[in-house]
Amino acid sequence: MKFRANRDHLSQGLGQVLNVVSTKPTMPILRNVLLEASDGMLSFKTTNLDLGIRCAIQAEVEQEGALTLPVRKLATIVRELPNLEVQVETDDRPSAKIHSGGSQYQILGISAEEFPPLPTFADQHEFTLPQEKLLGMLRSVSYAQSSDESRYILNGVYFDFRPEEFQLVATDGRRLATVGHELEGGSPTTGQFILPAKTVGELERLLGQGEGVRITFNDRQVAFELDLGDSLRDSGMVENLYLVSKTVEGRYPDYQQVIPKEAGHRVQLERELLLECVHRAALVISEKSNSVKMRLSENLLEISARSAEFGDSHESMALQYDGPEVQIAFNPQFLMDPLKAVPQDEIYLEFKDELSPGVFKTLENFLCVVMPLRLN
Amino acid sequence: MSEVRKIIHVDMDCFYAAVEMRDDPRLREVPLAVGGSSRRGVVTTANYEARRFGVHSALPVFLALQRCPHLVLVPPRFEQYRALSREIRALLRSWTPLVEPLSLDEAYLDVTDAGRPATTIATEIRQRIRHEFRLPVSAGVAPNKLLAKIASDWNKPNGQFVLPPGEVPAFVRDLPVRRLWGIGPRAEERLRAHGVHSCAQLQQWSAHELEQEFGRFGSELFLLCRGIDHRPVQPARIRKSLSNERTFPEPVASPEDLEARVADLHEELLADLHGQPELRRRVAGVFVKVKFSDFSSTSLSRSGPHGSLSRFLPLAREAFARSPLPARLLGLGFRFHPTPSPHHQLLLPLP
Repeated sequence: MKFRANRDHLSQGLGQVLNVVSTKPTMPILRNVLLEASDGMLSFKTTNLDLGIRCAIQAEVEQEGALTLPVRKLATIVRELPNLEVQVETDDRPSAKIHSGGSQYQILGISAEEFPPLPTFADQHEFTLPQEKLLGMLRSVSYAQSSDESRYILNGVYFDFRPEEFQLVATDGRRLATVGHELEGGSPTTGQFILPAKTVGELERLLGQGEGVRITFNDRQVAFELDLGDSLRDSGMVENLYLVSKTVEGRYPDYQQVIPKEAGHRVQLERELLLECVHRAALVISEKSNSVKMRLSENLLEISARSAEFGDSHESMALQYDGPEVQIAFNPQFLMDPLKAVPQDEIYLEFKDELSPGVFKTLENFLCVVMPLRLN
Repeated sequence: MSEVRKIIHVDMDCFYAAVEMRDDPRLREVPLAVGGSSRRGVVTTANYEARRFGVHSALPVFLALQRCPHLVLVPPRFEQYRALSREIRALLRSWTPLVEPLSLDEAYLDVTDAGRPATTIATEIRQRIRHEFRLPVSAGVAPNKLLAKIASDWNKPNGQFVLPPGEVPAFVRDLPVRRLWGIGPRAEERLRAHGVHSCAQLQQWSAHELEQEFGRFGSELFLLCRGIDHRPVQPARIRKSLSNERTFPEPVASPEDLEARVADLHEELLADLHGQPELRRRVAGVFVKVKFSDFSSTSLSRSGPHGSLSRFLPLAREAFARSPLPARLLGLGFRFHPTPSPHHQLLLPLP
């Protein structure tokens, strides 16, 4: 393999695939990026066996070929090279000679044949969405994923493609967030999968750099193909970004069951104002007393917190409410997460009593069920 | 702490085995081990008859049976041991509220302000436990925890040893360094290489020399080898963790062995935890520790309130896989939240 490429293009390509690589992989080859040069293009592939990613940049290919190189080291070296023009040539050791200006490196690699192939699919479902849409939807639920590995089914975001709606769900057993996207003219596909948390994080990082994202999936795997935006094309990238991931195996719990069917009371709130009030009230809490109390009385919402260590806090905001007085305690993080994640200015809160869940809703098919804390 | 303290260390004699012998007369005259039911398990406690054959705790069952072919092996009944331990602790508190339990079968008492001679109290405690529970127990009386613990071991089983403050210097001088808290076989080996066997010899070392040889533990050792230990008896110690670890004479080499050992340790750990309801509510996470045959060690932890075996096994496998060497020590434990949360998070009724 022999090619010339622009240093910043190389850096851009490596930057897109770097994150997937674990710092402590189970096999040495998983530390490496697979470089493949052909047809005026250099492609980059990395994988951690659960998740793989591919992208490509333009390059002057003199001799086609492939080699794997340690990706973090390569990215560091490329970033530091003195000239924009970089020439790379491989030999049978296997290693790669890298030239740029007066700098020369010979970096030891591992043969391309040993690199685990990214899976390809047959019998797949296919679905296309605007990247911004999917990004917004993911962000409005991903905070609610569980990180408790003993409940691995919940360690991810549930993608549910239904005939008339595409829905995302995440829950950790204490709160549950879902967001839907109605499909005019019906869905091109139906089916479900659970996207692992690590892939969710990677998608959130990569989405929003271009127009559309094409999702294909079967029982075990899912692939996301991301169109490139102009800024990425300007930095030398060609083709699409391709991300392929295992799905979490197992059945996602029937989440509809925990969404309260009837609202007790409902108030409309300014999202940012509520977020600020909860945030300020929570400043006095400690690890020992991690709760804030919401007290609703006629046209008034009071939020208060207390800890033995620091003292008390009290916030109040006006709102329209003429129901009975209700007091509910919540983990403030569980209130702030959805308030931070959705973009709408107005948000609705539904509640019943101190032992029933609070439900945040927006007009955009979003809801977040938050279980309260029982005060002893 | 200038005042001379009176500390009693109460130590049940081979507790689990003693309980089994008490409850089943057929077990009284035979070499007995309480422990893992499978051949891959290990001995948790052995009675004195079995100890004569070289059977001791942490010994794999198959080795124990080699050493003592007529060994009688009974599975542990942690529920029973825990209940007894609770009752014994309650009894100990009738002499002083300053009772610090170390494990199911050991506790420290601070009787400095009890207004009666510590020796009398220790004798009473042993009589009452023998009388009310029909279980053998030893006790040590000394001015601090370090010496009280050494003392309780002095006339075991079923014995008592009193170390008055005036006799401490002479007692400590002749004490083998191995008896000191924190000195295991390896540190003992290192000291022997320097020609050090007794505390008197160790007392010749300056604090600086000890720190050079043993790092931070060195400065502690400087005090310990003089019989000085200021640690208070803490009845309501806020526990940060609870663990169960064991060194295996036969290093654990295979994943199957590992799983069997982890299962044994887990059973004991859970028994310990269930005896302490206030801790159960505070579980913040679990951890696993593995020490390999080259003495390198590694640990892994996960947060979350669950403590089932299926939480520990993957951690243990992962930690074990970090070195190609067999493991000589395994430990499992729980970490706790600082204090019980005053609020109780309700859960979604997920199916």
